Amino acid sequence: MYLNSYNLPCVTISMNFTSVMFSGFKEVREEEKSQMVGKVFSNVASNYDLMNDFMSGGLHRLWKDRLVSKLSPFPGMKHLDVAGGTGDVAFRILESVNSIKRRALQDPLNDDLQEETRIYVCDINPNMLDVGKNRALEKGLGEDKSLVWVQGDAEALSFEDNSMDGYTIAFGIRNVTHIEKVLSEAYRVLKRGGRFLCLELSHVDIPVFKELYDFYSFSVIPRLGEIVAGDRESYQYLVESIRRFPPQEKFASMIADAGFQKVEYENLVGGVVAIHSGLKI
Amino acid sequence: MYRTVVNRILLTKNTGGGRRCLLRFPDLRTAVSSSRFSTTTEPQTFPNRPLNPADSSTSSSSTSFQTSSAAGDIPRQERKNPRAEYQGEQARVLQASLRHVLRLGWSEEAMIAGAKEVGISPSIVGSFPRKEAALVEVLLGLNKFFMDDCLQRLIDRIDSGEELQDLIPSQCIYKLVRFRLEMQAPYISKWPQALSIQAHPLNVSTSFKQRAMLVDEIWHAAGDEASDLDWYVKRTVLGGIYSTTEIYMLTDSSPEFRDTWLFLDNRVKDAFDLKKTIQEATYLAEAVGAGMGSSLQGFVGKVIQR
Repeated sequence: MYLNSYNLPCVTISMNFTSVMFSGFKEVREEEKSQMVGKVFSNVASNYDLMNDFMSGGLHRLWKDRLVSKLSPFPGMKHLDVAGGTGDVAFRILESVNSIKRRALQDPLNDDLQEETRIYVCDINPNMLDVGKNRALEKGLGEDKSLVWVQGDAEALSFEDNSMDGYTIAFGIRNVTHIEKVLSEAYRVLKRGGRFLCLELSHVDIPVFKELYDFYSFSVIPRLGEIVAGDRESYQYLVESIRRFPPQEKFASMIADAGFQKVEYENLVGGVVAIHSGLKI
Repeated sequence: MYRTVVNRILLTKNTGGGRRCLLRFPDLRTAVSSSRFSTTTEPQTFPNRPLNPADSSTSSSSTSFQTSSAAGDIPRQERKNPRAEYQGEQARVLQASLRHVLRLGWSEEAMIAGAKEVGISPSIVGSFPRKEAALVEVLLGLNKFFMDDCLQRLIDRIDSGEELQDLIPSQCIYKLVRFRLEMQAPYISKWPQALSIQAHPLNVSTSFKQRAMLVDEIWHAAGDEASDLDWYVKRTVLGGIYSTTEIYMLTDSSPEFRDTWLFLDNRVKDAFDLKKTIQEATYLAEAVGAGMGSSLQGFVGKVIQR
């Protein structure tokens, strides 16, 4: 059951946080939500990777490694990484595919396949994509035609039906307005046998750890955002959006409703992060 | 398989409780067979029911959310089908992958080739049950499937083979073990790799269970009715024979594995001779004991009388 309007915290310039403490969430119309999200990410784009490192203590790298190993990429793959602006997941997939290729060098057929690998990085925010393209240049992947940077909306993808072997969305799905639309789009673009993988911050249920995590989220993170990125509101929004996102089981049932089979989830760090996966048959 | 276990339980019940000193047997065997069927809906629809043991043995770090619990209102019958579908597809991919094993080994490449052959995206390879490293899990999936397939074919052969009943047990066992090993003959060049995968710590428990079931099945077909310590002894011995013959086969280059069958024949004979030897030794010990006992009695009697 989803409401048509979302609750957003009062993002007011007059640093009045009592409204947040009294759970004074304001109702915002859905058109406005995507605008607000756009503003948030334009603000955070330049410091996105740095803040990720700070907030997760470097763990986000391991989480993304785990996501890619679960995906099990292969040469010749067509992959779509949604909301992957700065390219973290895409770079990892590319590295993984190239290493497999080196292993299978004996097989002459695979050389052609390597040319066919395509990793599409789709993001709604052009600033994030720019950061990603710069990072690709730094890594020496600027000329690599396997990486394709596309600006687009996760709820209305510009890709054809049954064209992707894999679909990943890492830390992006809680920012969308209509989760079901994103899931059905994912189902549409995947081929038969294709996999959907979602890495997202999720709910913690372990008793003592939950309190610690809440304290960390609401007290430490916005302060960090203020110091490092100079933007407290955006990180406040981030923390609250995590709490609003459906819990693991609910999200898994939503994925199943979109048509995916073999829907599973794996909790990392006690539920702070969860990787949901589904198979299209 | 399920059926034979049921038969055995009924049989043991009928032979009377007195002789049954090890009451845990039925529990052990039904537990083994039920773990295979915990996630299967209809055993008959999938002759290759390989993936369920894998599903039921996922590690504790990952939690599985089955699609069936998502659809609360949909009746059970319909709920089974979506889940069954992906398993059917996975089975098809594995079946196709077997054809590539000889060329590519028991590896991810073979599975990717198999998926392409069937017309399904090779991404499905990533969805096979994972424990840690991707490659090991992929190998696990492929290998287990193959073993179950062979077991199924053996069972079919037993069911259809009327002539087995006319043979003496040792001949029967020889034939069955030979038949089973012949199924592995096409893959013999890559079999050492398969054995090493089975010996991997992560896979040891499932491969042990499979071997136990195989040995059980063979003994049952040979007409075994033991229900006490003998049950364990027989299966252990047969397990030993099977394993040694399998390893012998790896280095056998004689035409059609003639040397291996000779080896097998000798081992089976040895085992049966050993059985007779043990029986004779028991009788001897009993006789000696009886003799000693009576002479001891006489001696003690004489001493007391004095």
